[in-house]
Amino acid sequence: MSDISQSHINNKVGPVMRQGDLAKAVSEAAEIDNPGKTITVEDKLAYLRIQTDGEMFLQRQTIEEMLGRPFSMNELEVDRIAQIGRSRAS
Amino acid sequence: MALLGRLDWYNLARTTNWTPGYVTEDELFPPEMSGSMGIPLSGWEGYDEPYKQTYPEYVKVQREKDAGAYSVKAALERSDIYEKSDPGWQSVLKLHYGAFPRAEYSASTAEARMARFGKAPGMRNMATMGMLDEMRHAQLQLYFPHELCPKDRQFDWAHKSYDTNHWAIVAARHLFDDMMVTRGASEVALGLTFAFETGFTNMQFLGLAADAAEVGDWSFSNMISSIQTDESRHAQIGGPLVGILLANGKKQEAQRIVDMMIWRAWKLFAAVTGAAMDYFTPVADRKMSFKEFMLEWIVSQFERALLDLGLDKPWYWDQLVADLDHASHAMQMGFWFWRPIMWWNNPAGVTAEDRAWLEEKYPGWSETFGTVWDVITDNLLEGKKGLTYPETLPMLCNMCQLPIASAPGPAWKVRDFPLEYKGRSYHFCSEACQWCFEQEPERYKGHLSLIDRFLAGMIQPPTLEGALNYMSLYPGERGDDAHNYAWVEKIRAARQKAAA
Repeated sequence: MSDISQSHINNKVGPVMRQGDLAKAVSEAAEIDNPGKTITVEDKLAYLRIQTDGEMFLQRQTIEEMLGRPFSMNELEVDRIAQIGRSRAS
Repeated sequence: MALLGRLDWYNLARTTNWTPGYVTEDELFPPEMSGSMGIPLSGWEGYDEPYKQTYPEYVKVQREKDAGAYSVKAALERSDIYEKSDPGWQSVLKLHYGAFPRAEYSASTAEARMARFGKAPGMRNMATMGMLDEMRHAQLQLYFPHELCPKDRQFDWAHKSYDTNHWAIVAARHLFDDMMVTRGASEVALGLTFAFETGFTNMQFLGLAADAAEVGDWSFSNMISSIQTDESRHAQIGGPLVGILLANGKKQEAQRIVDMMIWRAWKLFAAVTGAAMDYFTPVADRKMSFKEFMLEWIVSQFERALLDLGLDKPWYWDQLVADLDHASHAMQMGFWFWRPIMWWNNPAGVTAEDRAWLEEKYPGWSETFGTVWDVITDNLLEGKKGLTYPETLPMLCNMCQLPIASAPGPAWKVRDFPLEYKGRSYHFCSEACQWCFEQEPERYKGHLSLIDRFLAGMIQPPTLEGALNYMSLYPGERGDDAHNYAWVEKIRAARQKAAA
């Protein structure tokens, strides 16, 4: 990072997930549910940082499809270690 | 019968404020316990927690988390990951387990304060689960090292540390008692859940999980990152509180606590996490430097969250960013130099590979810290090990309780910040530690640092042995060089080869 004083000026949002099936499913769902947006996935071995600019949608059905099993949104917490930006459920 | 979706009934079910008829509002929520800052009950109704969870959901999710953490441990229990790991990594585990598990019970007390005395119903609901989270953290982190006790007596410190007057634990208690145990619900929410948990716990519980994964210690990696999944939920208690405080004209009060606790957390984590990431973890397995993790989690992420909520950057922010270049190195050098008074064996972390890594990650390291390590290395090569042990005690800061330290070398930057208060002299490591003290001098004035106790004759006999016994560090637990000086022989061999 070249300029530390500017590095907080970003608008990235998204979950940071522990490595595993759910993290992979969420990163795939992020691609599908946010057409046209660039999703970045940083792999830190122990965790994945899944981000995009401004706003990210995640649908339960999409995660279910990616996981291949039933899933309820609050199960995200099993592997979610941080939430960048503010989240809203509907 | 049709069932309502959770979002349709959650707010109604957790709205448990009522108008007390038999006692006054202040008797039900004493201001010093609730930290209500004069905001009446009605002012708290708008608290809208972003994370809505019911108790049955909590139990279900936590059960799944525990099943994961314990099953990975069980699967790896009979492997020899620990024995095969580098002694530096073993020291990471010892430092971690001595520093954190018992503090989790203090965190549970802090959550309980919010669960009972928080004036916002949503805060009380979240904190009830947070209180259970912290008990889980204590128990996981006491259970995991227990299997290591027969392998190495230093792991006894996982349970023992907080019952002692060990210098590092005096420092940890000074912070955690201040932040968690002795403040009202609002201050706990601002200091612990917002400043500490959205910010700094990520450094130890995620950053180190990444290093552990590189090392191959999946049991530890999995367990501490599982803990952080709880933190990321209950850490969100503080955010909506900031909204309430700002709406009621209490920004200054909120900013003051947040500024104090960010600085206090920074000092502790620079010592514990900084040394672990930049020196203890074997160089080949270091995922990123402490500074890089700080830039990822604190500077670009936490600083932005702070501004997003309507708070300001702490006044000392530029100083904190400048300190990123030397804080971990200064603490590590102190840990190694005073190694007999640690409950872990401290690695030196200055082989040729280490030095190259340090210079790459912290340009200028060789000209500052490197020169001191040169002297230490030469003394060891010449068989003068006695010169590498301390003859005096480090000067400790009267706020963070850590050594007053900075970068050595030509631009000697170590500075003491002295203060006279009611006839007593206090010494601080930094402008910000002095500022923290001056925010509430009556609260802090009576505390004696370990050096103050030494000078007051409370540590007898006033020798190294007397100090070790005062700190409950008994033979078999006292630290030494983690690699038993094998790194010195490597340097000797390299120099002989170069000379030949």
